[in-house]
Parts: sequence; structure tokens; C-alpha cells
Amino acid sequence: MSLTAFLVTQGLNALALSALLFFISIGLTLIFGIMRIINFAHGALYMLGAYVGVSVALWTGRYWLALALAPILVAALGLGVEALVLRPLYRREHGAFLLVTFGVALVVAEGIRLGWGPTARRFALPSGLAGSVTLLGEAFPVYRIFLACFGVAVAVALWQFLERTRLGLVIRATAQNAEMVHALGVDVRWVRSGVFALGCGLAALGGVLAVPLVTAYLGLGAGVVVDAFVIVIIGGMGSFVGSVIGSLLVGFVQTFGNFYLPDLALAAMYLAMIAVLVLRPRGLFGQDE
Amino acid sequence: MGWAGAVVIAGLAAAPAVLPGFLVTSLTEVLILGLFAMSLDLLVGYTGLDSFGHAAVYGLGAYTASLLLLRAEVSLPTAVLGGALLTAVLALPMGWLCTRTTGVSFAMLTLAFAQLLYAVAYKWQSVTGGSDGLAGVSRTPGPFGLTWFTSRPGYYYFVAGCLAGAYVLCRAFVASPVGTTLLAIRENERKASALGYNPRAYKIAVFVIAAFFGGLAGALYAPFAGFASPDLFFWILSGQVLVMVIVGGSGSLLGPIAGAAVFLLLEHHLSGLTDSWALILGLIFIVFVVFVPEGLWGIVRRHAATPAALLEESGAEHPVP
Repeated sequence: MSLTAFLVTQGLNALALSALLFFISIGLTLIFGIMRIINFAHGALYMLGAYVGVSVALWTGRYWLALALAPILVAALGLGVEALVLRPLYRREHGAFLLVTFGVALVVAEGIRLGWGPTARRFALPSGLAGSVTLLGEAFPVYRIFLACFGVAVAVALWQFLERTRLGLVIRATAQNAEMVHALGVDVRWVRSGVFALGCGLAALGGVLAVPLVTAYLGLGAGVVVDAFVIVIIGGMGSFVGSVIGSLLVGFVQTFGNFYLPDLALAAMYLAMIAVLVLRPRGLFGQDE
Repeated sequence: MGWAGAVVIAGLAAAPAVLPGFLVTSLTEVLILGLFAMSLDLLVGYTGLDSFGHAAVYGLGAYTASLLLLRAEVSLPTAVLGGALLTAVLALPMGWLCTRTTGVSFAMLTLAFAQLLYAVAYKWQSVTGGSDGLAGVSRTPGPFGLTWFTSRPGYYYFVAGCLAGAYVLCRAFVASPVGTTLLAIRENERKASALGYNPRAYKIAVFVIAAFFGGLAGALYAPFAGFASPDLFFWILSGQVLVMVIVGGSGSLLGPIAGAAVFLLLEHHLSGLTDSWALILGLIFIVFVVFVPEGLWGIVRRHAATPAALLEESGAEHPVP
């Protein structure tokens, strides 16, 4: 394999991984930006998205339906969690959220184990996504190209939503000063609920998309949530751009690191995070509070 | 402490004589995790530092004690004390870096350190045994021939002695001027700073002290379980020990020990009743955070103590929401 072909194929692999990481980290960072909550249940919801997606795909035989339905169902669950568990805590310290979302993570992860059992699951891709194409003389799976494109599309759409729509303006304003937004007549409670549900739905979307690559298995959430934390911290909590750049950084470090320095790749990610936090406690694109 | 305390101490002392063996083993585990939770509460309850990476010191204590036992073949007490001391030394740079940040960033940075150590334990095969961890960590007494430690009741008393010693030291520490300064930092860091204290130095100090006792717990765990594995660094364990602190009641030294007992009791009991014990545990935990922020210890104190005693205690043992 020529060096160019190697770089292109590995680069596309890295982009596909970055896209998956983006879906989970953007939800985490949106929730943090609006609600000042570190959602420890985020990994479990990603995993739930994967399992729900598998079930929908197996029952209906339609991949696209799974892709649409799993995020909606998990977002609905997110609405319930926000109303029942988080809302009573808004006047408490941030530590309470850290703990309560850890409890939610336990419940969701255990619920999945009860509902789906210990065997890993996957589904067949529709024929259009299953094959591979030849790039620079190398066979390359279509699905990874699809993932990379889908990730870019969702990132652009979200950015447009936040920057160009009225609702996006309200969300950004709430992140800046919730009390002022409330005083202007917007019911901030609904903004919070909506953003939490949106974040959960995005995590679930990432989960469904991950299934063809890694299968749905019981440890899926616990591993990926820490990657998402690393991204959000490196990029800066609550920063959209930070989440994009962080996802790319971690996606590329993991992909190329696993090839060149398999023993150091994992540690390198955490070292990078520590270095960033020490130099810029708010992250690369984080704003001072 | 009164008569209730005396009954508990007498009960713990008599336990190996009257209880069946497997319960003595469970009780030993409760005491080890109780020590671990108590050490975390020095940070969470007394200083307001929400560490989400306390498993880092547990794992460090377990690995260093295991290596001392397996490679250096020192005696058990030496390995345990050595594990705790080395953990405290390694925690110094960690604490120096982590205390540069506050709040959520502090929680995340401690988590990052624990995960970094997890990655190192996983990959540094030649020293840590990789994903298999270090197996065959025995309670071999070494040159002094203290064979007593190797028996089940012997090890129980050894752990109980370590916990009692740690409790007395921590009690003295939180009641000391340094301890009350930590409370001042927890309540209002800027005010403490304005009064001439250097909050950062105090935070680093308590970080290292908490690491010593957390490392001690880890060092006691490895010979108890017979192994040290990378999971001892994993964030799930950091979360579980926080659960113990909150359920038991943060801002008190005995509360987290009670929390550890409840946690293990539920785990063992529920896992016997149903496969989904973690589900029920998670639900119980959510209910505690939402409805009982002061924890079990807070309930006991609210119902048992006289108003005068509460007033007297409120300065030193104010429950943290």
C-alpha cells in the first residue's frame, strides 16, 4: 500500500470514528452549556440507542427506521429523566447532578442487561451501505464514508439551527444568562427539557450508528463516555466548535495512535487532556464563566 | 459516642468468634471499603472537593502493595504501610495539578488521572500484568513470621485495627485548626483567602492525606482479594465510592463507613434475590440524592441527637447537599 493510500484510508477511518464521537460529545456539551450538568448517564443512553436501534432494525427489517426511531425514543426517555430526577435538583450544588446521573447510568445500563441479556447484538446493513468501494487501489467500506458524511451533515445542521433560528438564539441566550431569558418571558424550564432530550437523542443516534462497526454490547457505554468527557474537556465545556475539534483530535489520535503506538494511544489521550486542563482550565475553546 | 458506640465496637471485636466465616470475609470487605469511603469524604465532605477519580489512589495502593509483596517479598504490614505512603507521594503532583481547577473541572481532572492510571495499568504488561492484573497476592507474613495475619480472623483484626487507627487520626485531623480551615474553604474560599489562608496549600495537603488513607484501603484490598486488576482504577469504582459517601452522609467520618456497609449489604443481599441488583441500587441511590441529601448519618443524627448537641456539632459536621 502506498503512503498516500494508507493516509487516505486511515484518515477516513479516523473521520468515521470522529463522527461517532461527535454525536456523543455534542450532546454532552450542549447539556453542560445550558444546564451546567455533567451527564454521567450519557454513555448509558448511547448504549441504549444502540440496543433500541438493533431491536427496531430486527423487528421491522428497516435500517433507516431504526436510525430515526431510536433517537426519538431515547429523547423521550430523556424528557422523563429530566422531569423526574433532575428538575428537583436545580437549586442544589453541581455535585448532586454528578451523583444522580451516575445513578441513572446504573439504572439504564442494568435495564439494558435485563431487557436484552448478555449477548452482543448487531443487524445487517442495507445493501447500499454494506459494500465497499475502491479508493486509490484499496477496498474501503462504504459505511465509514457514510458515517463521516453523516457526521458532517449533522454538525452543519446543528450549527445552522443554533446560529440561524430563533429557537437556537433562545438556547444560546439561556446558556449565557438563564435568568434574563426567563425575565424576557421565555419558559426556561422547556428550554432545559428540550436541550436535555436533544442531547440524549444525539447520543442515541451515535449509538445506532456505532452498531455496524462495534456491535451492541454491555460495556459499550462505560468505555465511550470517558472518550466523550475527554473531548468535551479538551474542546472546552459547552463549546460547539470545541466539541467538533475535540472529536477530530481524539478520532485521529486513536486511529493513528493504535497503528503506530498501540501501547501509548490510550494514555496519550488522557495526557493530552491533563495538559490542556493544566494550561487552559476551561479547555481550548471554553469561555471563562 | 455513648453506649451505642461501645456496643458497635464490642460487636466488631467479637465478630470473628461468633459469625460464620463468609460473614467475617464480608465484614472485612466492608471495613476496607469503609476506610476508602472515609478517605474520600475528607475531600468531598470536609473540603468541598468533588473528586471523581478517587479510584486512582485505591488502585495505586493495591498495585504498590502487591508489587511489594510479590517482588520485594516484604512483610504484610510493611507492604500495606508502604503502599499507603507511596500512594501519598504519587498523589502530591496529582493534587498540585488538580487543585489548580475547581468544581466540575476538578472532578473531570481527577477522573482523567484515574483513567490515565487505568490505561497505564492496562498497557504496562511487564510491571502490572496488563489486563490480567497481578494475581497470587498472598498474605504471606515474611521474615517476622507473623503467621496470625494470614488467617481469616487475623486479617479481619488487622484491617479493623488499620481502620480504627485511620479513624482516630482523621478525627484528630478534622478537629484540628487545619481541619476547621478546610471547612472555611468549603464554605467560602474567597473569604478564607482574604483572611490570610492559602486555600490551595490546604487543598493539596488534604488531597495527599486523603490519598494516604485511600491508598491504605487499596493496599489492604489486594492481599484480601489476592489480586490487583486495572478495574481498581476504573471510573465506575470512583462513582461507587461516591455513592457510599452520599448514602452514608458526607461531612462525617462514620457516615461513609455506614454507607459502605449498606452498599455491600445491598449488593450481596440483592444479588442473592435478583439478577438486577445494580438496577435497584441505582434507584435507591437516586432516591437518596433527591430526597435524603444528608444521608443515613444525617437521619440518625437528626433523630438521635439533642438540639444542644446538634448546635455544638453543626460547625464541624454540617451535611453537604
